[in-house]
Amino acid sequence: MIRLDRRLIINFDWTLFSLVLLLSGIGLLNIYSAGFSLSDVDRTPLYVRQIQWILVGVVGMSFAFFLDYRFITRHAYIIYAISIVLLFVVFIAGYATRGSQRWLAIGGFTFQPSELVKLTVILALAKYFDRHQLGRNHHLRDLFPPLMIVMLPFLFILKQPDLGTALILLIMFLSILFFVGIDWKSFVVAAIGGVILAPLGWLFLKDYQKGRILTFFNPERDPLGSGYHIIQSMIAVGSGGLFGKGFLKGSQTQLKFLPEQQTDFVFSVFAEEWGFIGGLVLMIMFLLLILWGLKIVIHSKDYVGALIAFGITSLIFWEAFINIGMVLGILPVVGIPLPFLSYGGSAMAVLMTAVGLLMNISVRRFILQS
Amino acid sequence: MQKIHDRLDRYDPGQFKNRFKVLFLIVSIALALIVMRLWYLQVIKGSELRQRSENNSVRLRKIKSMRGLILDTGRQVLVDNQPSFDLVFVPNRTRDVNTAIEKIRGLYAERSLTSSSLSSFIGKVKPLVPVTLEKNISMQKLAVVETHALELPGVVVEVTPVRQYLNGMMTAQVIGFTGEISREELDHDSSDLLTPGDIIGKFGIEKFLDTHLRGKNGAEQIEVNAAGKTVRYLGRIPSEPGDNAVLSIDSALQEEAWKAIGDRPGAVAVLDPRNGAVLALVSSPSFDPNLFNSGISSVDWEKLAGNRRHPMENRSISGQYPPGSTYKPVIASAALEEGLITPETSFYCNGTFELGNRIFRCWNSKGHGHISLHRAIVESCDVYFYNVGKLLGVDKIAYYAQAFGLGSPLGIDLTREKGGLIPTRQWKLSRLKEPWQQGETISISIGQGFNLVTPLQLANLYATLGNGGTLYRPRLVKQLESSSGHVIKEYGPEKLGALPLSPQTIQIINKALWGVVNEKGGTGYILKRKEADVCGKTGTAQVIGLPQDQNARKAKRVSADFQDHALFACFAPYGNPEIAVAVILENAGHGGSAAAPVAKKLIDTYFAKKQAIQSRQQWLAGKEEGATKQ
Repeated sequence: MIRLDRRLIINFDWTLFSLVLLLSGIGLLNIYSAGFSLSDVDRTPLYVRQIQWILVGVVGMSFAFFLDYRFITRHAYIIYAISIVLLFVVFIAGYATRGSQRWLAIGGFTFQPSELVKLTVILALAKYFDRHQLGRNHHLRDLFPPLMIVMLPFLFILKQPDLGTALILLIMFLSILFFVGIDWKSFVVAAIGGVILAPLGWLFLKDYQKGRILTFFNPERDPLGSGYHIIQSMIAVGSGGLFGKGFLKGSQTQLKFLPEQQTDFVFSVFAEEWGFIGGLVLMIMFLLLILWGLKIVIHSKDYVGALIAFGITSLIFWEAFINIGMVLGILPVVGIPLPFLSYGGSAMAVLMTAVGLLMNISVRRFILQS
Repeated sequence: MQKIHDRLDRYDPGQFKNRFKVLFLIVSIALALIVMRLWYLQVIKGSELRQRSENNSVRLRKIKSMRGLILDTGRQVLVDNQPSFDLVFVPNRTRDVNTAIEKIRGLYAERSLTSSSLSSFIGKVKPLVPVTLEKNISMQKLAVVETHALELPGVVVEVTPVRQYLNGMMTAQVIGFTGEISREELDHDSSDLLTPGDIIGKFGIEKFLDTHLRGKNGAEQIEVNAAGKTVRYLGRIPSEPGDNAVLSIDSALQEEAWKAIGDRPGAVAVLDPRNGAVLALVSSPSFDPNLFNSGISSVDWEKLAGNRRHPMENRSISGQYPPGSTYKPVIASAALEEGLITPETSFYCNGTFELGNRIFRCWNSKGHGHISLHRAIVESCDVYFYNVGKLLGVDKIAYYAQAFGLGSPLGIDLTREKGGLIPTRQWKLSRLKEPWQQGETISISIGQGFNLVTPLQLANLYATLGNGGTLYRPRLVKQLESSSGHVIKEYGPEKLGALPLSPQTIQIINKALWGVVNEKGGTGYILKRKEADVCGKTGTAQVIGLPQDQNARKAKRVSADFQDHALFACFAPYGNPEIAVAVILENAGHGGSAAAPVAKKLIDTYFAKKQAIQSRQQWLAGKEEGATKQ
């Protein structure tokens, strides 16, 4: 069995741990507020369920922390394969809500394998690029296997359809390519390929997804649908002012003007109640988290650790940026949750596990000898 | 666990220095962008947006879809929708719902209108969560409220479509009713199209076809003034009406069956033997489905749920009764097919049958003397069938009974259909942990003992015999149509199987059933008619075994609950049947005297209607002919 190494405790990354717990705590308060005035009192309140999921996440975090990350990467492809199988099961027999089939029902809980895939793709890519380090004169065909690693889940998820998650996979892939140092020629070729493929992707999109993108450029196009969301969300954020309306006092929130106020639009609840100051504090916390993640990348003892840490950090960064950008009306509405703040069990559990891996890499730089 | 001792790859973050610079730049730009945007929205435009949020007068409102109609086979409307005007209080500026209620009460009182149905609201008012004050208000009340709208801030009249069940109790069991979706139903909804407050089917066809009938809710964005009244429509997604359902039910037959049963508990099932279409399905006692329209009152609900006679149960598909003598054709066909008897085989009936030390009686205590199959069915001799049943044994009987569709649900398009019970040795051993007794075989050979069938199964059994041996799935839904009238889906006949009987066997049985109605001394003689030959069988099912002692038998018979169930099942016309009927009346006595008259009325109605249609067609044809001659 795993012998508990004293150094794991001594060098424990308290900063990262407390930062994440603090963010989750803020998320809980926020979900409590968002659900405060909802009339369906008979259901389990969402904040209670979120607490349950945070606990699940802490278990995942401990697992990811105590197992040596090199042991985990050794099995990265198997872990990746399992997550793809899960996606496939969703595709065959998934549980659909609001017209998209994203969930697996296990017992009383539902789980979203596409969230898990975000992490397993990072692991698989890290393993690949660790083994096949791109030299100065690499060929474009070297990028074919990692492209497949991403495209397989990408297509499954696009088919669900879940545009946001599919997009995040793609952005993560590009970020990791940037990190491993793809040369600019290949990058240009890939970009041209992307431009050619984009209209094809448009064919893949469902009408509502096309609508959302068109609406982003012209909110008046659909004042009932996503345009309504953007307008109401911007009113909510703006009405918070400098200091906010106070906890449980956001009228936009409490009057339920906000759509999806516990999931994708949870930031507008926060901004309405805590104002610019609150938003600024939250942004600083995210900045700290991301910088801390990059610090772990820099200090990692080996390449694969650096790759994993970088993938996880970029995941948190892009999700936070795209989500908040969407709430503030500077990016189109795509369903991407805000890390640690949005209600959503699978995302929370997976993020916690990912942070466990980060801490794992962070602490083992004191243990591993080079 | 395998120890990890692979060498560390040399990793020098220095070589990534430039890349980290770019990364920091990207992160800084992104976060700066967000903070700037926050500053713009919250500080620069803050007071403006705050004002907009306080005056937020734009809201999204659900437009309820129109539920599909339900029609009978002749396209007569069974269920339609009616607008209901509901008084609703939307807490916005004014949150004091009780003042509003008192004001309305005062206005009603001035015009001596009743205010008893006006709800008195207790509990916390949540902003913008509408509170229903009174449902389905009268036109007078509507006029009063509308003319005093300015004195009643927050009070609005909402128009919602409400189900109207035109045939009330008569079709209540089949059509069912609707109601507001419950918390559990919302949790179990996998389509995720439902939202709180939606009206969904709760019972009967309304439930079975709910996804088709429901339609799709729309939404509209409206601007409201301080009093909560709509001043402007900003956008609108219209609702989509649900599909209309055409049932195979024939209202005329349904009504006749309902009337003929009267207030006696029981059930009637009428099928078309040619395709399994259900022409009538009646269960008594019944309930008024219109009670559920504006939310059933607790008094009414208790009356229904607590009723000892279970008016909410659809006896025609979930009532399970011993088939009594209506089961005899099954025994007879099994014995013929197995070669255990021929039509000429006769047994001697002296009124009793002895097995070991038990005595089984014929209903005719004087006995039928020497009797062969045909007359044994016509006169319903029990002793004959005791002998035949003894020859067959329980498992052979069960095999044929199951082939007739007994013992498991037939799969009618309704929920809560029961399957009845056809006992076997195995069943008794596993369920009751006791071996089968031969005496029990004797009981089941006249449809007593463990045997249970539903009225629907009984009708289907006779329909199957009548059509020569094809078992159809009984179907209520004929087709679905869009609200604009074009057919979306048609439900054709569905064969479940064929009887394992030779045509000769079926013919012998049907001839005997013909005799029951058309020969002297037949127990169903009252159904004899000119235009069509009816074939049928009476049945009288004992509710519990009667004591052997004559006096005790009499004493028990006095109590109504121990009275026999009366049964009658038939099809007509002989040879090429168009209608099959099963009637069961609980504790009503003899099948011939209680149940057969109900069946007779249905057969009368069916042929009267058929004749009316034919003569009308002839008249039309004659007219056409006359026209061409000219």
